[in-house]
Amino acid sequence: MLARMWALQQAAVFFTLPEGVLRALARRLRRVRIAAGEMIVNQGEPGDSLFFIERGRCRVVVEKPPGLVTVAVLSEGDYLGDGACLLNRPQQASVYAQSECIVLTLDRQSLHAVLGSRHASVIEELRKVADQRFRAFADTTLQATWGTLLHEATVVGVYSPKGGSGGTCIALNLVGSLSRRYPGQVLLLDLDFPYSHSALLAGLLPTTCLARVGGVPPESFEEVLLSTVLYHAGGPMILPGALKPEEADEVTPELINRAISVLRKTFRYIVVDLGITITDSTLALFDLTQHIVLVAAPELSALKSAADAIDILLQLGTPDDRLAVVLNNRTPKPAVSRPAVERKLKRRVDIEVGFDEMRPEQAAVDGTILSLTNPKSEITKGTDSLTTLLEAWHGRSSAAARTGARSRSVNGAR
Amino acid sequence: MAVEAPPGRMEQARAGMRRAALKRQVEAVAAGSGDRLPIDLEDGAFDVATVVAEVAWPLQPQSASLTRLVVALHRSGVADAVVAGLAEDDPLQLERCCRILGALRLEPAVPWLAPLLRSEHVAVSDRAARALGRIGGIRSAEALLAATRRAGTRRTLVVALARAAPDLFIETVLSSRRRPGLLGAAALAAGLRRRHTAVGPLLALLDSGTRRHRAISCRALGWMRAGTAIPALTSALSDPDWRVRMAAAKALGELHAQAQFKELDLLLTDRDPRVRKAAKQSLLRLGNVMLSRDWRWAWR
Repeated sequence: MLARMWALQQAAVFFTLPEGVLRALARRLRRVRIAAGEMIVNQGEPGDSLFFIERGRCRVVVEKPPGLVTVAVLSEGDYLGDGACLLNRPQQASVYAQSECIVLTLDRQSLHAVLGSRHASVIEELRKVADQRFRAFADTTLQATWGTLLHEATVVGVYSPKGGSGGTCIALNLVGSLSRRYPGQVLLLDLDFPYSHSALLAGLLPTTCLARVGGVPPESFEEVLLSTVLYHAGGPMILPGALKPEEADEVTPELINRAISVLRKTFRYIVVDLGITITDSTLALFDLTQHIVLVAAPELSALKSAADAIDILLQLGTPDDRLAVVLNNRTPKPAVSRPAVERKLKRRVDIEVGFDEMRPEQAAVDGTILSLTNPKSEITKGTDSLTTLLEAWHGRSSAAARTGARSRSVNGAR
Repeated sequence: MAVEAPPGRMEQARAGMRRAALKRQVEAVAAGSGDRLPIDLEDGAFDVATVVAEVAWPLQPQSASLTRLVVALHRSGVADAVVAGLAEDDPLQLERCCRILGALRLEPAVPWLAPLLRSEHVAVSDRAARALGRIGGIRSAEALLAATRRAGTRRTLVVALARAAPDLFIETVLSSRRRPGLLGAAALAAGLRRRHTAVGPLLALLDSGTRRHRAISCRALGWMRAGTAIPALTSALSDPDWRVRMAAAKALGELHAQAQFKELDLLLTDRDPRVRKAAKQSLLRLGNVMLSRDWRWAWR
């Protein structure tokens, strides 16, 4: 019974359920042993059960002629079959047991009988996750069909040395702004530890994260990593670093290096929310970034931290022109004026984000991304300017122009 | 001049009008435009259960319309009366209650429906099986499987099991082999369900089951249109038991296994006339009208 309850508790949406209800669900679970290579779910067929993986690994495969696309590799704690069971759609993908698996099945009737109308919100959340996953698989399949992008992604680190400066907000809206230009090709990697909330702020419910991918063998690392990415309907993709505070320690510099090397092949831009602390992981990422966005609020303590952070970054060898300072006005009347900020930081402010009233807070409550939903918002205007700045440096056309200019100058010198 | 209606016609007309009125009310509740459902189960003029079933039958499980109907029935006390009606002795009343519960897919009623599978009245046990099949879920499937163990492979039970069984339920029964008496029913149900997850267990049963199980596996694989099973079915054409050979021939016909024409052709000279007939039918099914001289001779 304990093992069954553990398997249920691994699904984030069941966190809120009282223990009695979880027990009732666990009693209705049926344990099924599946040999390696056997099919658990067949694409295109109807389904009426959720499968919680208690042990083993399963490969989720979308059969799209002329080939097969592996869209995810699921392991202990994951569940599958939600699209068919909760959305009454045919199975989107076939699932095969990669190793010998033990799955716990929960049929639709039992789910509804136990949760009933008292916990209807849980069923709604499950439906939401199922829909999210449906779109993610569809997108992955599409991407795989088109082929991977030819060029590697640009990694942009968003760092705010003081909490409350709006670093996560800027990172999320920057991703939104970039994905308007490159839908499905921009990823937000949330390393704002110990509490990574970007996915929740975007209205997505993460079920797994980067920290849980660490133990995956190298041969299936890429598949598993890409399957953990959440897809937002507006275009951005989000990869949570850790779902629980204790998981933050499992995100090591080595794991970040491996992850970034994989993600760079798949996306156009990778925006990393670095949070406020400077850890080994943050330092590893500074090495991997092509541009660093430093977010500061016009407050004395925040400016002091920002000045220190700029010193550290320059000492670490970050080129001056690859560092963008964003001044985020969180109040209608900033305590420190822009010239004073620039004097304190000993460099000019690249982008100033005006006071946006209660819009960021409301967007967080609604689970929306301002840069995708509200073009009049100050945050949107600020992140759009930041996008233009990044595009000037790292955009395909500008990169080509720079290469052309460089070759022309070389030829001229000759 | 007054025209007198023939005796009984007026009653029939009144019953028909009341039936239509009740159906409109039930439809209104399902559509969300009404919330009153005055149902009298004792009404002898017409079958209330048929009316409810007619409206509820096309509704999807867990759909808003069905939920509204169930809530209205609970609110008016009819749901409790229907469950209480399962304790009656009158077979007709029991059938009606089973029909309503099945139509409404009331999962909590499964423990009350399950004992009716043992009813001495075949009509009642069949109706209970159909209701459990429609309700579905693990509890219904377990009850139907237990009834199959007691009563043997009855058609109604197998069909209901195929409908009720949740994903991987039948596959588990087929793979576990702990209850050999149930393997036949489970294989038939797997064939009726047509889920390809059962192909592996059915092939294993075809490989190592009893002759009855082998024959059923062949039929089930044919119903499922399991193209991956064609090699195993072709091997089964040379099985020592005529039932297995016949079932394999039929299955290959259903699978439109054009490449197996030669093997089926050879079966036309089988020592058993039933196998020859099955092979002939399969060959006709393959759409191949180029009948060879030899087998035309054998057929004569």
